[in-house]
Amino acid sequence: MHPILKIDLSTGKTEDYEIPERWQKDFLGGASLAARILYESVTLEFDPLSPVSPLLFMTGPMTGTSGPTTGRFVVCGKSPATGLWAESNVGGFWGTELRKAGYDGLWITGKASTPIYLWLNGSGPSTGSGRHLEVRDAAGLWGQNTYVTQDKVKDEVGVKSARVCVIGPAGERQVLFASIMCDHGRMAGRTGMGAVMGSKNLKAIAVRGENEIPVFDLKTYKILRSQSNRKLRDDNEAKVFRELGSSGAANYFEYLGEMPVKYFSQNSFPAVDEVSGAKMTETILVGRSACQGCVIACGRVVKLPKDSMKRKGPEYETMVGFGANLLNNDLESIVDLGELCDHYGMDTISVSNTIGLLFNLYGKGILSRDDTSGLELKWGDVDAIEELVRLTASREGIGDLIAQGSKRLAAHFGVEEEAVQVNGLEVAYHDPRGLSGIAISYATSPRGACHNQSDYFSVDLGHAMEEIGIEFQPRHAQAEKAAGVAKHQDWRTIDNSIVMCIFANVEPQEKVSLINAACGLDWSVDEMMSFGERAWNLKRAINNRLGLTRANDKLPKALLQPLPDGGSEGFVPDIDGMLAAYYEARGWDKETGKPSREKLIELGMDDIAKDLWG
Amino acid sequence: MATKFPSNEWLQGLETKINSDQKYADIAKNWEGDLVFIIEPEGNLKERLTFYLDLWHGTCRKVDYNPSLETYPNPAFTLTASYKNITAIVSGKLNPMTAMMTSKLKVKGSTGYMMRNVPTILDFVRVVQEATSEIM
Repeated sequence: MHPILKIDLSTGKTEDYEIPERWQKDFLGGASLAARILYESVTLEFDPLSPVSPLLFMTGPMTGTSGPTTGRFVVCGKSPATGLWAESNVGGFWGTELRKAGYDGLWITGKASTPIYLWLNGSGPSTGSGRHLEVRDAAGLWGQNTYVTQDKVKDEVGVKSARVCVIGPAGERQVLFASIMCDHGRMAGRTGMGAVMGSKNLKAIAVRGENEIPVFDLKTYKILRSQSNRKLRDDNEAKVFRELGSSGAANYFEYLGEMPVKYFSQNSFPAVDEVSGAKMTETILVGRSACQGCVIACGRVVKLPKDSMKRKGPEYETMVGFGANLLNNDLESIVDLGELCDHYGMDTISVSNTIGLLFNLYGKGILSRDDTSGLELKWGDVDAIEELVRLTASREGIGDLIAQGSKRLAAHFGVEEEAVQVNGLEVAYHDPRGLSGIAISYATSPRGACHNQSDYFSVDLGHAMEEIGIEFQPRHAQAEKAAGVAKHQDWRTIDNSIVMCIFANVEPQEKVSLINAACGLDWSVDEMMSFGERAWNLKRAINNRLGLTRANDKLPKALLQPLPDGGSEGFVPDIDGMLAAYYEARGWDKETGKPSREKLIELGMDDIAKDLWG
Repeated sequence: MATKFPSNEWLQGLETKINSDQKYADIAKNWEGDLVFIIEPEGNLKERLTFYLDLWHGTCRKVDYNPSLETYPNPAFTLTASYKNITAIVSGKLNPMTAMMTSKLKVKGSTGYMMRNVPTILDFVRVVQEATSEIM
């Protein structure tokens, strides 16, 4: 593996960090290896927005290898939104370029005294190792939006082919769900890593490299990746993503009652067709975009009637967050709102969810115009939504409260139970009353209410994998799903390590063969799954050290209230029963919520067992 | 009248059932599109089998049992599945949307039209199931 470049922004000191050999095998890369590397340094004591807070940009062993959907990297640390483990993975081309520059990761600590950006030129003047890092003044970039910043940085470094990841004004102002963008629209959205970057006065990181990306057995890997990519091209679901985008299944989700409507208080949205991937394709789509090496190309390029500009079209979460969630059926406004969030550098799930909470509280009469910076909040009022997005990014008026996320906003008004969040992370737009398995995913994810640590709705739609213990169950099955969710979390932990997009249907044997060829391993499918389980338990251990207990594993009140009609009519997940079965399947201690000593030792983490249990 | 799948009698019975089912007529009132089904041989099915159905505004205008594919060169949708998977759908053991999402049922045609007409697809399969008494 390449080393990780450690950079202390307070001192300017840099060093190459060589990854211990055992960790390379036990944790591979991406978020899993990042969790092991940061285990000792992510502690309860420090503020995630303080200089000591680490920020680790990590690639995986398949990043940039043109394997199926593997042009990705992940940003890890301690979340300012949740106070827990943070990881947010993203596509584009930046991760590939970092590996070409000779590093598998960047480990950033400290705080620059003034705004700066980093320029890592792996093909430029040598400093002995063939790599050259410059710390550059970003005073002229501070306040600029994410798109402008990327272009200006490329101009300043004079290398058009450089790849740049940036924060926008929201990250500068440490909005707790600020994101990091690369490649004009690819976002590491969740857990507020953009705020951590902003707290370090770090505006951007540009990278460029020309090195070969190492693959252990390139000949075999090329054959395998070719087979996988060919299969993926023919896959029906990939076809839906390619032709309609990630919101292609919006109509189906709405039919099932899986799409939250009006801040999770309804599940039927008759106007769904107006704000769906199909509608976008038929009306404003002018192109598609793909991350490095991806054959799916789920990215949307759209043009609105108002001008001739090409824009990024919304993916599913943005479509629902600014659509059904706020009773807005105006597709063009959703494009604009998504773009506005991108410019500011904010996670569209968290910002739209928190705005939804505000509308909900206003609608219930808990808030008045005195609380909302004078805004009247009528469901579907696009002007009000847009103003709230602006206020959030600038942290003005009510925007300063929105910028702290739904948990803190609700607590401020004395109604914490009204917030649809888990551990400080806003629930994504998949309702467990429609497809029940994700109830467990939300309650137990290491980063709060996350749908990407286990998008179990995909299993509920039919993506069962019996060979690894993930069996299909009726969509409203309860505790029977627990063991399958645990396996699915392990499965997705593998993806978050190598780093592969969850939109790719890659079978277990296919995946382990790719990993073996890329890394020089001889794993069986079972060994690969054990690796996933190991890393999942490691992240749990990190969170236990950060104060997480079994009491944190829960669902918000709104998701436990049955709806009178629609696709999920009358159903609520039995979260207590589900969690009891889940703990059993996981081998976790039911009192403390920690992985048991025996489980940690079984997974080869004796050191973590000792640290957690003494 | 429920009949044995797959057979010409079954397909004729399905046409009759579609045209007499008020629930389907209501749900599929906007559907416009003919379908070619291709069932790949497997198990009891020794040779490839095709069906043609012309579905229009909640009715079935025409069926054709085992036509050559050249007879209907441009159907709105061509659906291809193995015999095992198609019988799983017909018998209710496999959800048709699940079959599509997992590529057990290959779909050629407008993905957008298909995704926005999920209720019609699901109710069409209900009618198929009700029109089937036995599977070969």
